[in-house]
Amino acid sequence: MTTIQVAGLHVRHRRTVALDSLDLCFGRGVHGLLGPNGAGKTSLIRVLATVAAPTGGRVRMLGEDIADPRGRTEVRRRLGYLPQDFGYYPGFTVREFVAYMAWLKEVPAAQIPAAVERAVARVGLAERIDAKLRTLSGGMVRRVGIAQAVVNDPAVLLLDEPTAGLDPEQRVEFRELLRELGASATVLVSTHLVEDVAAACTEVTLIAGGRLAYRGTPEALTALGAASDGVGDHPIERGYTAALRAHREVAAR
Amino acid sequence: MTGRHAPDHLIAGYADGSLPDADAWSLEMHLESCASCAGRVSRAVRATAAGPVLADLREAVLADLGQAVLADFGRRAPAAAPPAPAVVPSPLRAPRLLWAVAPAVRGAWLPAVLLVALGAVLLAHAAGFSAARPLLLAVAPVVPVAGVALSYGRHADPLHELAASTPSAGLRLALVRTAVVLAVSLPLLTVAGAVVPSSGAPGAAAWLLPGLTLTLAALALGGRLGLRAATAVTGGGWLCAVLAPVLAAPDGAVSRHLSDQLSRYVGGGAAQGGWAAAAVLCAALLAARRTAYDRLERH
Repeated sequence: MTTIQVAGLHVRHRRTVALDSLDLCFGRGVHGLLGPNGAGKTSLIRVLATVAAPTGGRVRMLGEDIADPRGRTEVRRRLGYLPQDFGYYPGFTVREFVAYMAWLKEVPAAQIPAAVERAVARVGLAERIDAKLRTLSGGMVRRVGIAQAVVNDPAVLLLDEPTAGLDPEQRVEFRELLRELGASATVLVSTHLVEDVAAACTEVTLIAGGRLAYRGTPEALTALGAASDGVGDHPIERGYTAALRAHREVAAR
Repeated sequence: MTGRHAPDHLIAGYADGSLPDADAWSLEMHLESCASCAGRVSRAVRATAAGPVLADLREAVLADLGQAVLADFGRRAPAAAPPAPAVVPSPLRAPRLLWAVAPAVRGAWLPAVLLVALGAVLLAHAAGFSAARPLLLAVAPVVPVAGVALSYGRHADPLHELAASTPSAGLRLALVRTAVVLAVSLPLLTVAGAVVPSSGAPGAAAWLLPGLTLTLAALALGGRLGLRAATAVTGGGWLCAVLAPVLAAPDGAVSRHLSDQLSRYVGGGAAQGGWAAAAVLCAALLAARRTAYDRLERH
């Protein structure tokens, strides 16, 4: 079932075009969003998170048009969003911060305490739940960010570079969490780390220069890498560079 | 799949005790490794005459073992299903919630409000400054407006990127935070005004309606201009209207001119009625353009 439908999406930051008539569909599962720096990954995620308004095009999520204020509020209740950089109140404890986000997301007050404990346990921070955010390491703050994103059991989860700052063991645990979340929700993960995609994603979307460059399963991308002469150490990395090169050749023509 | 599970007649026979021993043993072997068949057997047994007896037994055993078993279970339970603690402490204590809903109260704004209020009182009583009331009345309406500017938006709230993706984003959150700003500033500044000598200026409460109107005007304009620009326009506009004629006055009687100016703007029923009408108008504008707040940021 399709939960996110993007049609002719256009995003412009002043004079530079970030997304250029992008058409995409996402259903339940974990979708890896790959692309070089400046490809438009963050622009796409911010539009889907209803934080930024697109310059053109339509976005339907969970059956609602997000250009309509009422539909947007409906979508926001069922949304989880982890931005690339997020601000927080350093004096808040993990529990207070996640609870405040749950309150903003309109989780019923009676359910907030248990939902907060569960979300924090899911990211492996149960022991630090009453620690102040300013005392946490960068990787831990990132995990708190993931906890706030999942606290309302979202149907659509948007994660912008969630594995940045996590150590290898935490990344393995995080991929496990991703697979678990992908069973019931549409999870969109933008990342630079191609191995994350190979390990945890059911589908890969590669964007470059604001356009769709490649779509397929991680296995297909790996096979593409084996078949062509892409550059990289890992088979899927070779697939990534091969797909990107093919897209640029078509775009240059 | 069904071939691997016990057929219904075996389970029914096991439950009512009619199954031959050999078959019962092999079924028991299977039950050790198959949760779904074990569930079917226990349902079948519960449906027989032994059901109530078993239920009693189960309760008695649980009562005997009590907390020890539960605690042990808690330790062994997989991470995916943590035992719910008996009492989950409330995550947000009241002062924290106030801080959270009003970023302005956490920053430089609260000290500024206290400075204005205490400053007026100290100037009047300790330094014998005669224009404390008019000066306070001139500055007071700008205080909640400044608080609004520091309450909502990317520049004011470190959490804005996250808050903007929640259903509370937009005018609702801006209004909740404005309410906190008003709840802090209105009583403080009015009490401060009441304890300084009037020196010909209007009453200490005369600024309340103008302050509310300017705040609403800033919010109504904020949907179009952004909150920072809107508060600069409204707050700055008020200060210019009140202070410019006074500073331009030829003689040095600032206190008297300021009092006159304020009496003209906020003294008397007609002026207050005008402010009230303006407040209603701004509130109506704000209501009409409420969705403008939903997404202040445009690419």
